[in-house]
Amino acid sequence: MDTRLQSDLDRADTYAFLPVWRRLSAQIVITTATLLAIVLFNELLSPSFDAQLERLLSLALVPFPVILWLFVSVLPEYRVSRPRRRLIGVAVVSALTASAIGLPLVNDFFRVQQWLPLQSVFTRILGYTLTAGIVDAGLKFLVLRYLILPRGLRVRSDAVAYALASSIGYSAFLNSALIWRLEPTWDIAAIYLLFNITVQLASGLFLALGIIESYFSDAYPLVLPANFLVAAMTTGITSASVGGFLSGPLSTAGNTDRPLFACALLVGSLFATLGIVYFLYSNAERSEREAFASQRNSHGI
Amino acid sequence: MAFDTGRSPAIQITPRQRWSIAITYIVIVCGFALGVNLQDSALNQASRYSNLEAGIAALYPARWFLEESGSYVFRVRDMAHLGFKTVIEVSTSPVGPDTTERNIFDQLSLQRSQVLIDYTVLGFDTYRLADDSAAVSMSYSFVSRDTSPFLEGVSSIVNALDILTIRRGQALIVSFRADNKIYQAELETLRWFVQNLEF
Repeated sequence: MDTRLQSDLDRADTYAFLPVWRRLSAQIVITTATLLAIVLFNELLSPSFDAQLERLLSLALVPFPVILWLFVSVLPEYRVSRPRRRLIGVAVVSALTASAIGLPLVNDFFRVQQWLPLQSVFTRILGYTLTAGIVDAGLKFLVLRYLILPRGLRVRSDAVAYALASSIGYSAFLNSALIWRLEPTWDIAAIYLLFNITVQLASGLFLALGIIESYFSDAYPLVLPANFLVAAMTTGITSASVGGFLSGPLSTAGNTDRPLFACALLVGSLFATLGIVYFLYSNAERSEREAFASQRNSHGI
Repeated sequence: MAFDTGRSPAIQITPRQRWSIAITYIVIVCGFALGVNLQDSALNQASRYSNLEAGIAALYPARWFLEESGSYVFRVRDMAHLGFKTVIEVSTSPVGPDTTERNIFDQLSLQRSQVLIDYTVLGFDTYRLADDSAAVSMSYSFVSRDTSPFLEGVSSIVNALDILTIRRGQALIVSFRADNKIYQAELETLRWFVQNLEF
């Protein structure tokens, strides 16, 4: 009886709220596949574009993850009975905080490009964690804290959906600023996009995990800050490693870029983060489900 | 519906959640402060240079490149900067008892006007050294162009400042040169350098 009731309620739950994980995975797969295809196309065929056309192609890549997110995650929300109404708001506010605070702090105040790339690997990881990592994760946390918590959280997947919205908005501004300023070639623009999406999504997912544990399981007060630190550290590790993977070793023949190495690192870390967070998420949900069922049994319902 | 209400977090947050948010804020503030400290120590890390023969000891930014082979005692350059590299150059020259600072500056200007493009003296002033003694400074500007015309680089306007003091029959000249766009910001490095210069 209990199991049947539980399964009925779960089914009702499924219809009331849009499932997140399958849509999130689909977005990641489509985004990485498209960006990888661009890099591979350039590596294999080495096409030569006119400078203006190349700039246009690079700029055209910027809205791609946002449009994909709108079609895969936002529009279907309005087909379910209890949609997440603040997704676009969270994405827009995140993009605005990246523009007004995040990018100026990292580029103009911390000036990371002046001193961090020349440091040792350990200092680079620590440096990027304490500068870009703390700033990015801190701003996304503040956006979620003041726009979503606690009234916007009804089920666990809400935290993941809003963290995704925040990451998409934040990375969209970083992508547009970076590609507008540096005018990279088409394939390098694809790597920049993949880098920003990986970094922001990975830190966003760990933030979501912390929020879920804190708000749904009433976890110890250190769980959310610990997840926040892991979120900042993912930014530090990815930012510190990608440069080394992208640049080839110096030799007598010269130095060439290795875009495929950088792509492999980024895609690997993105899927690894997704796997780890999903495992912890489903584990916590299963524990809560079992606790809920045993509580009902003990009350003799 | 009852199930949703049961699983949703309470509208009123619990003390644990309140604490977790407060600790997260503390982590953000502490992390930011550590980041500032790390940046500060990386940017302001200093190395020591000493030359017993010339009687000069100085501190210079550790990430700058030190050179000793030239017409100067030593010079340090910020190689990480794109375009014209900010440079501090220290040189000495023996002087006679009647030689004034102005004579030395005029001689330097004469030499520079032949090798630097659009060399222009902007003015003279006094400069207070670390031991509170007065030195004379001359500011000037010139245009820096890439050595190779095939590089097709854009020329930079360079602002510069010479600080000159005469002691024990020797003139010590500290020449500071930086791209016009970052000159004011880089002056802070020169002030710090002069404060720590022993001659």
